[in-house]
Amino acid sequence: MERVLTDFVKALRNVNIRVSPAETLDATEVLEKVGFENRELLKNTLSLTLSKTPEEKEKFSTCFNDFFREQLSYEEATSTELPSIATEQHANSELANQLLEDSYADVQLSISKAGEEAEIREIKYFTQRSVFSRRILDIMGVGNLEEELAVLGKINRDGMPSDLEQQLRNELTHLRERVSDYVQQQFLLHGDVTGEQLREQVFKSMNMGQIDRSYLHEVHSLVRKMAKKLTNMHSRRKKNFRRGKLNIRKTIQDNWVNQGILFKLRWSYKKVDRPKILVICDVSGSVGAYARFMLMFLFSLTEVVSKIRAFVFSSHLGEVTDEFKSSNLEHSIESALSKYGGGSTDYAHAFSDFVSLCINEIDKKTTVVILGDARNNFGPEKAELLKSVYERSKQVYWLNPEGKYRWNTGDSVMNTYSAYCTKVFECGTLEQLERVISTLLRTAI
Amino acid sequence: MSRGPAKAIEDITEGFAKHQYICSEQISTAVYLANELEKPILIEGPPGVGKTELANTAALYYEKELLRLQCYEGLDETKALYEWKYGKQILYTQILKEQMQEVLEGAKGLRESLERLSKFEDIFFSEQFLEARPLLQSLTSTEGNVLLIDEVDKADEEFEALLLEILSEFQVSIPELGVRKAVVKPLVILTSNNSREIGDALKRRCLHLYIPFPDAKLEREIIKARVPEISKRLQVQLVDFVQGLRELDLKKLPAISETIDWARTLIILNADELNQDLAKSTLNVLLKHQQDIDVVQKEVPRLVMASDG
Repeated sequence: MERVLTDFVKALRNVNIRVSPAETLDATEVLEKVGFENRELLKNTLSLTLSKTPEEKEKFSTCFNDFFREQLSYEEATSTELPSIATEQHANSELANQLLEDSYADVQLSISKAGEEAEIREIKYFTQRSVFSRRILDIMGVGNLEEELAVLGKINRDGMPSDLEQQLRNELTHLRERVSDYVQQQFLLHGDVTGEQLREQVFKSMNMGQIDRSYLHEVHSLVRKMAKKLTNMHSRRKKNFRRGKLNIRKTIQDNWVNQGILFKLRWSYKKVDRPKILVICDVSGSVGAYARFMLMFLFSLTEVVSKIRAFVFSSHLGEVTDEFKSSNLEHSIESALSKYGGGSTDYAHAFSDFVSLCINEIDKKTTVVILGDARNNFGPEKAELLKSVYERSKQVYWLNPEGKYRWNTGDSVMNTYSAYCTKVFECGTLEQLERVISTLLRTAI
Repeated sequence: MSRGPAKAIEDITEGFAKHQYICSEQISTAVYLANELEKPILIEGPPGVGKTELANTAALYYEKELLRLQCYEGLDETKALYEWKYGKQILYTQILKEQMQEVLEGAKGLRESLERLSKFEDIFFSEQFLEARPLLQSLTSTEGNVLLIDEVDKADEEFEALLLEILSEFQVSIPELGVRKAVVKPLVILTSNNSREIGDALKRRCLHLYIPFPDAKLEREIIKARVPEISKRLQVQLVDFVQGLRELDLKKLPAISETIDWARTLIILNADELNQDLAKSTLNVLLKHQQDIDVVQKEVPRLVMASDG
């Protein structure tokens, strides 16, 4: 019983449901109460103890159905068992007898046993499936059966194969199919996932421009996770940082111990507003590949940080905060790109738009973040506009998706602009982006 | 226990239904397990699906007192757990001044006075001066009770840490008095609207129940239980209409509580069936944002048609 549970927990972890050992213990306790008889009850109880968010509940449901499907198919199969055909010849090998005489469920059981012996739970990659199938078949003794079939074939030289041979051949094909099904199922439960974690790692460290658009969805969930982690971390920080007014009532209460001498001061904690951030994102042709991911991160940030305003530009600049708030990711990215994207970059124009749009909103608490490659098509730089923003704001960050070695080559004017930035970062991969945003949230308070 | 768990769960479902709370099997299983394992339940779900109501009903069903702790930002242990009755302490020191002088009479020097005083020092930090707040009340009560910690996501993260000891060990440590253990373990229910992620440590200690919007069948049963005077036809139409609404992209989707309110409104208006005008004029009961109402106004004919079929 415990074995089944630990296997199941492992399968859950594989689909990214976090189950702690303590929760496994809880589940064991629960199982002692409800047992395995009632499937629906089992599912409900395990779901209550093992999955702890709505998303996890959904994953749990599929995983549960997959994992306990095996048991179901026993019941279905036993009812459709065929009567074995009486033959004058007798099968010799153990496996042959088993195939001819045992019920479907018993065979399934010995497949599972062989699977355990073959350490099927160690399966990790898609390509290992045939190796494991072969290994299981070997353990079950397919070698002997094949030899026997060869012998039977020789005896019946006169052409027509005997009933026994025919039947055994059918059973063998059938067995092969079942083993491969079994391996496939085990692979889905135990293998696939390491793949998922691997992929996340790869996505994180891959240059954003190189990630194919078809992975957008997967990357989005990853980016969201990152954004959420970041804001969670930093919103907590803020609390301890700032202190509000002196709380006279509490101070006096706490100091009665000291005969009313106010040793220990108590503060009423002020609710601290989240940082005010303005983000400007270049979506022109030259950074087209990055723009998508930049926007994605921007979108995720607007989901978790309330006081953030987002602007995009290629030649002229516009605000997209509202669009990002109201609709779904793909829709808002597409609309931002189609409205403002694709054109050739004109930083001078974009900055002048930005200044006229919201220079009055920038104050000493504002952080301005610019995402772009500073490639200006040899146009005017108008760095004084950026300077005016820099002077009014708390800080200006510039995130450049290009590698440092490419800055200031060709039409890139990074040097000119970086004079008016508090800091410039290279920001080509999601990992770098995460690090930058982390610094940003820490200092934007 | 001799009865099977399946039977016990059925009993809970029926018992809750007697108190007009129609629950899915998930919910009654959670209540059963919480009772059996003595573990708290953390309930999540959209607002208005009956999270708080579940605690109320559980209290009625088990015939125990309900202690409620409403969480909000800035809630701390003096509001949730215990506080010393400072006023009383001061008053008593004033009154007992003379007695104190008697005690101190004849004492030579500071050291001796202090020694004498220290024998009495603990008096002021004893049970008499302890103001128990909901959490401590719940632990010390001898009859057992249902403890509802409502909207725990509204409280600060520090507060969660405070809950950990209480929820896993059913005890609290008061520095001046030592560890207080629960006499009868209470049934603890926490609710959260998911305005922020609850910490893993807290989640780990709880059974996690997610209550989604109900499906049409369950919702009809709920309406029947809560608004029994409603006509069968109206009830079906109403639920179908609301179910249709939940598929639209709205700022705030109508929950069960809104459906019940709406049903009551229609009863007051003496309606026995739903038509477009009636739906349009009473939309503000269901929807709480003008934007949403504008969106739905256009959809009303379609929804009413659909609910008719």
